[in-house]
Amino acid sequence: MIHAKSGDDYFLQQMVATAFTGTVHSVFQHALNIQRDGNGEIFTLATKAMDRAPNTLVIDLDTFDHLDIHQYDRVLVRHNQLLIEEKLQIAIHTATRWQCQLPIYPLNRTSLRMNMSSVKQFIDLQGKGGGIKRNDSPVNEFEAETSRLLQQRTTLLYEEILNQRLDRFQAYAADLVGLGPGLTPSGDDFLVGLFAVIHLENSPCSIYKPLCESVIKMIQPLTNEISYTTLKKAAYGQVRESICSFIHAILYGTEAESIEALRKVLAIGSSSGTDIALGLISGLEANIKLGG
Amino acid sequence: MSIKVVIKRNTYFDSVSLMSLSTKANQIEGVEQAIIGMGTEMNKGVIRNVGLMTPEVEEATAGDLMIIVKTTSADQTESAYLAVEELLTNKNKAQAKSDIKYATIDSAAQGIPDANFAVISVNGAFAVREARKALENDLHVMLFSDNVSVEDEVELKTLAHEKGLLMMGPDCGTAIIGNTGLCFANAVRKGNIGIVAASGTGSQEVSVRIHDFGGGITQLIGTGGRDLSKEVGGIMMLDGIKALDADEATKVIVLVSKPPEASVEKKVLAQIKECSKPVVVYFIGGNEEAVVAAGGQFAKTSKEAALKAVLLAGIDEAGINKRALNIPLVEEVRAKLAPEQKYIRGLFCGGTLCDESMYLAMEKFDNVYSNIQKNPDFLLKDINVSQEHTFIDFGDDDFTNGKPHPMIDPSSRIDRFLQEAKDPSVGVIVMDFVLGFGSHEDPVGVMLPAMIEAKQLAEKEGRHLEIIGYVLGTDLDTPNIDEQVKKLIDAGVTHASSSTNAGLLAREMVLKGENHE
Repeated sequence: MIHAKSGDDYFLQQMVATAFTGTVHSVFQHALNIQRDGNGEIFTLATKAMDRAPNTLVIDLDTFDHLDIHQYDRVLVRHNQLLIEEKLQIAIHTATRWQCQLPIYPLNRTSLRMNMSSVKQFIDLQGKGGGIKRNDSPVNEFEAETSRLLQQRTTLLYEEILNQRLDRFQAYAADLVGLGPGLTPSGDDFLVGLFAVIHLENSPCSIYKPLCESVIKMIQPLTNEISYTTLKKAAYGQVRESICSFIHAILYGTEAESIEALRKVLAIGSSSGTDIALGLISGLEANIKLGG
Repeated sequence: MSIKVVIKRNTYFDSVSLMSLSTKANQIEGVEQAIIGMGTEMNKGVIRNVGLMTPEVEEATAGDLMIIVKTTSADQTESAYLAVEELLTNKNKAQAKSDIKYATIDSAAQGIPDANFAVISVNGAFAVREARKALENDLHVMLFSDNVSVEDEVELKTLAHEKGLLMMGPDCGTAIIGNTGLCFANAVRKGNIGIVAASGTGSQEVSVRIHDFGGGITQLIGTGGRDLSKEVGGIMMLDGIKALDADEATKVIVLVSKPPEASVEKKVLAQIKECSKPVVVYFIGGNEEAVVAAGGQFAKTSKEAALKAVLLAGIDEAGINKRALNIPLVEEVRAKLAPEQKYIRGLFCGGTLCDESMYLAMEKFDNVYSNIQKNPDFLLKDINVSQEHTFIDFGDDDFTNGKPHPMIDPSSRIDRFLQEAKDPSVGVIVMDFVLGFGSHEDPVGVMLPAMIEAKQLAEKEGRHLEIIGYVLGTDLDTPNIDEQVKKLIDAGVTHASSSTNAGLLAREMVLKGENHE
């Protein structure tokens, strides 16, 4: 029996209060995705090395390798235990509840302005290329063309926000969805970062909040189910813990605290962390320009 | 131009694996362009833009994995695609099923009554239970898993000791038992030298050097890195020495470790005194006097340990190529380096290889920093930023949390390499490339474009950048060591013939105004 360490409030509620059944959608070393019967929503089991996140249960396990769990294995919840066939039993009641709480955009932006340049410099130096951050030597024409389109479309979206135009936001955001070769495409990751900034309370960009929610309704076929779930949550202001901590650090922390928190974001996936961070930076830069 | 497209329905690889596969696929001979990615509409648009659209690609959906291979001629396409497919298959090998599958240690022990050895690699939560079961079934154990408490380690090793069994690990990554390499080990000749090691790449290096000097191995017993701590008390190293002492085929014993805790070192040295066979002791940064007083043969470097062992094992010294240091090359590089190019940057996959080069540098410099320095004053403040002479172990937890070990996926150090190569205060960059079971299939190849780019950049800026590469492996290993070395030499990289020589070359090349060794 494995014990759950921490769980997203909504996920825990779904498991306890409803008849939760599903199938294994995909298995990686540190994450296992479950697709719920009925509405097809994706929920994630994460190993203890991972941070807390929406729709995610962090469990006291090092790896999902060698558990012999396969796509389409049955998942069900019984008596406070989540069961995957006879291969994994997880005690749910041990999980502490967690919910993403984004910080409030500050009235005093001194820290943000101070932290911004060092954070950008750090991403420039340590961020992973191949996605939003262009690689000096792309591995092939496909990567070069993807980078070109990402740059072009993220710039269009940024300028749209600066101009406070609402009519093209959805179209420009949708043009980014599914763009990039990774499991969570770079365009999706960028939007996760941007949506998080839009959802900060008092954010000068917050006029786009309703549009984030409506854009989600049109993009489901454009990306895979795993990335769509992350995007959908971000469109309602729900992002993983490391992103939340980074936003807090860059708004209120010191330079060193910002870099420390940024490292954890950059460690997400291959280039995903860098793409998310650049989405955050884009949103924060727009905020500074719009709100002073 | 010829294109092959395969769409795998509802197939998901994590981003790190996808990127790594994509990089490798584009390096396959004959491949002009390889794309491995999800079949989203936007990605399909990019594929259209670069002229690779086909009807199969059109039909892919966002949950499908697309594999597109473009070659210059049709006769190359199938073989290039098969090579890409093999990469994907290898990625899934961890989940491959063996011919006979047992659900438990108990059933495996009953199903194969002649078995006397278990290799256990399960997640930490189950590792202790499974290892205990194996010992209770009278099986020797190699425990690859980590995240086992020190209390559990002591309990398991005590149980093994009482039953006269080997308990190798936890966190034991290298062993050669009965001429079979396990986990990360190299293909070496069978011989009469036994090794007991608390260090993975350290034992790989010593076994490889013994092979190179014409000797061979009886057994390589790994103990796990924590065995020589005060808490564990060297239980496995002491039992390992006794086992090799009792083994008729073993004529010489070599011990490999970072320096043990003082009270444990005493116990090990006392055991050497009782041993009937010569024992070579290579404890990095260890105390020569104490070893000699115990009747052991002290070795300061891995190369010296191997050389002493083969000589004691009866190999004729006259026939050994000792791979002397290339002194004229050292002089040549010194002359090329500008006065401000003062520093070494060591970027290693192997922890002990990193340690060895670092200790050699510390003999001449007092400003040697690392992420694995014992002296806290010289621990890197920020592991991502080098200071003066810096030696990085990319296999350390700082770099591997949630990522593959650099011996499996060496791409993690490419970015750092390029960063160091741009630093005008750097004279020499030294790196290891580890071959053998479990390692990357082309460790030099994956680094090659970055090394060429760095050399070109330095040349453009009018400075000489010296890159030293050491390939840890034997002529029996896969991939072929000669091909790996040739790739280095063709790229203008200096090939070091051993871990020791790599450290010495790096150190001597940046020494200013002093005599080299």
